[in-house]
Amino acid sequence: MNHTGMLGSKTRTPYHEFYADDFTPRDHYHLLWDHIKATGNNALEAKAHEAQLALRAEGVTFTVYGDGDGDEGIERIWPFDLIPRIITAPEWTKIESGLKQRVQALNLFLGDLYGEQRIIKDGVIPPELIYQGRDFRREIVGIVPPRGIYTHISGIDIIRDEKGEFLILEDNLRTPSGVSYMIENRVIERRILPEFFNKYRVRRVEHYPSLLLAAMRSLSPRGKDNAEIVVLTPGIYNSAYFEHTFLAKEMGVELAEGRDMVTINDIVYLKTTSGLKRVDVIYRRIDDDFLDPLVFRSDSSLGIAGVINAWRKGNVAIVNAPGSGIADDKAVYPYMPDIIRYYLGQQPILNNVPTYQMTNVKDREYVFDNMERMVIKAVSESGGYGMLMGPSSTPALRKEFVDLVLENPRNYIAQPVVYLSRHTCYMDGELEARHLDLRPFVIYGEEIEVVPGGLTRVALRKGSLVVNSSQGGGSKDTWVLAD
Amino acid sequence: MRYLIEHETVLEYPQTVREHHIELRLAPRSDRRQNVLSCSITTEPAAELSHYLDYFGNRVDYFCVIPPHSRLVTFLKSEVETMQENPFSFEAVPPGEELQWLHQAVRATPSLNDYILHRSLVTPTSMKLAEAISTALPRWQRERPLLDSLLELMAWASGQLEYRSGSTEVHGSLVAAVRQGNGVCQDFAHLFITVARAWGVPARYVMGYLNPGVSAEEALTTHAWAEALVPGAGWVGFDVTHNLLSNDHHVAVAVGRDSYDAAPQRGSFKGDTAGTQPTVTVTMQEQ
Repeated sequence: MNHTGMLGSKTRTPYHEFYADDFTPRDHYHLLWDHIKATGNNALEAKAHEAQLALRAEGVTFTVYGDGDGDEGIERIWPFDLIPRIITAPEWTKIESGLKQRVQALNLFLGDLYGEQRIIKDGVIPPELIYQGRDFRREIVGIVPPRGIYTHISGIDIIRDEKGEFLILEDNLRTPSGVSYMIENRVIERRILPEFFNKYRVRRVEHYPSLLLAAMRSLSPRGKDNAEIVVLTPGIYNSAYFEHTFLAKEMGVELAEGRDMVTINDIVYLKTTSGLKRVDVIYRRIDDDFLDPLVFRSDSSLGIAGVINAWRKGNVAIVNAPGSGIADDKAVYPYMPDIIRYYLGQQPILNNVPTYQMTNVKDREYVFDNMERMVIKAVSESGGYGMLMGPSSTPALRKEFVDLVLENPRNYIAQPVVYLSRHTCYMDGELEARHLDLRPFVIYGEEIEVVPGGLTRVALRKGSLVVNSSQGGGSKDTWVLAD
Repeated sequence: MRYLIEHETVLEYPQTVREHHIELRLAPRSDRRQNVLSCSITTEPAAELSHYLDYFGNRVDYFCVIPPHSRLVTFLKSEVETMQENPFSFEAVPPGEELQWLHQAVRATPSLNDYILHRSLVTPTSMKLAEAISTALPRWQRERPLLDSLLELMAWASGQLEYRSGSTEVHGSLVAAVRQGNGVCQDFAHLFITVARAWGVPARYVMGYLNPGVSAEEALTTHAWAEALVPGAGWVGFDVTHNLLSNDHHVAVAVGRDSYDAAPQRGSFKGDTAGTQPTVTVTMQEQ
């Protein structure tokens, strides 16, 4: 990678979503701004309080885990900021086409990796990348999932750089979470700012569960009209358990744990009070490692023994397909532009964040020399874990990461800190700017659909660039405008 | 040679277990050196068997026993014919071109990377292995045929360990085996594989059977050896325990990156009891 010019001066100004450079609200925020000005802080405070009460009444919670082993976590009310983030129709058009392109390429890539491996034979990506990847699942090589689709649900993280350009930060293809909060945020926002939904012509997101249900029905081996669908949860201690129950309820399907199911001669059944019921589609919210103790981790009690063999036979569909995680391995990420060009013959519509590979000695030394301005990430971690945030790091922590990287370079990547765009938030009685990102959700059923909106995550601490809810992030409703 | 192989595995539990799923890698493979004349697998309680070919090309037979049971038996019976072959009769690639040949083979078949890159407790990095061994590890002498270096490696590896039945755990650490100086056939094979991989030579683990008439091992169970990819020859078997190239006394069953991939039996069940040590009985008779 070319090292010059990637790190600008230290005084770069983040893009502000709400205000233009002259400190006046951007056009699409005018209506909202006029209203806030007219009603004043007391009205905002009342709305914020109303939102709090509604979240509590709805029981919208998430679980935070500390550092302790065996920590069962603390359940918290979902943090919500009432000032919506607005995305214009032209901005959305670009995001939507970029995401469709990316998801299409990701699925072709997965089909190739678990099939012929043309992309490796053609020398586009190095074999070590795949064969040393923790999530390349040899157990499923040669199995072709229905219609070749692996990632029925993708939650792709998008950020906006200093110039306002939308960049892809991460592809989340395993069990991306957050969609229930996208919907709950909308429910709350409709309640507290109802008049704006018509004035602004905000596009709907509430149909996500029905889109997901339709996509899953389309995978049913017994046909879409005979689809028995189950949401497979690891149980109440999972940080996303709220979402598992939410989606099962919204779709009107069973929520089950591994122990509630059994595979008999390659057919998966749900144990019910009236006997065994055949299962056609499993929306699993557990990782590959735990999915089937017969072929993956034998000590897993969360999965369903024999489910992979049932899947191989085509008797059950698994959403997302096992093995999808290799495509969102952070060490694969830098190759995504090449992967898009290779399978689609197109230039990427949405660019990546520049990324340094720690296996490359020159990249590595450059990163070590500039650690205060870098984010270093462990490639198979998510949720903001296993990460060094250069600007806020201590010398001791930086030293620790140098050792970690040198011990296993394949396991780390680095990116220059991107000053995520900011947005006005209502924080304890004041309007203040906070950094944010966006996780839109992409469903791949009969075709690829991007739900117009997503989960906007906000770093609640002033100046912080970490938006993960597991690390104290908040959220906003995201309005995509129809025109 | 013609052999009749019988392989019985008995699992017994102090309390009943249920929803028992088993995968078997027991069916001998068919290739140019061995011909499977018959092969049958039966179980008790009786179960319906299915099969598939796994990533490594092994035939996997699998079944389930759902109702509660405290005993589960699997029984393989197979007749195999093995062919004698001169391991040195192949069109050799000149020593200077062997590395290039291997690179091309790996490029054409990317999955061969697994047999070079894989590291585990039983096939560690050469650095970890070197720490446990006082002398330098053998090297591939590029000016001579790779097969010569591999034969020297086999001789060296077979001298590093004393064969002692039951001396190490199945899938136990190779470094620990080398430190204590004795091991079983798995350890010998893993030691050879570990060094060959450090050379950049694809090497894999083979689980199979060895004619008891020529075996140094006491109780007859499954045997293990290694295979390395030799330019011009293909996969060549190295019985490291006995310091000889595999021959018509060997019947290969399953291959993998290490012993874990090629384990003959794997299972999962529900019940209030821990796993149990299987009782394995193998017989191999010359026909």
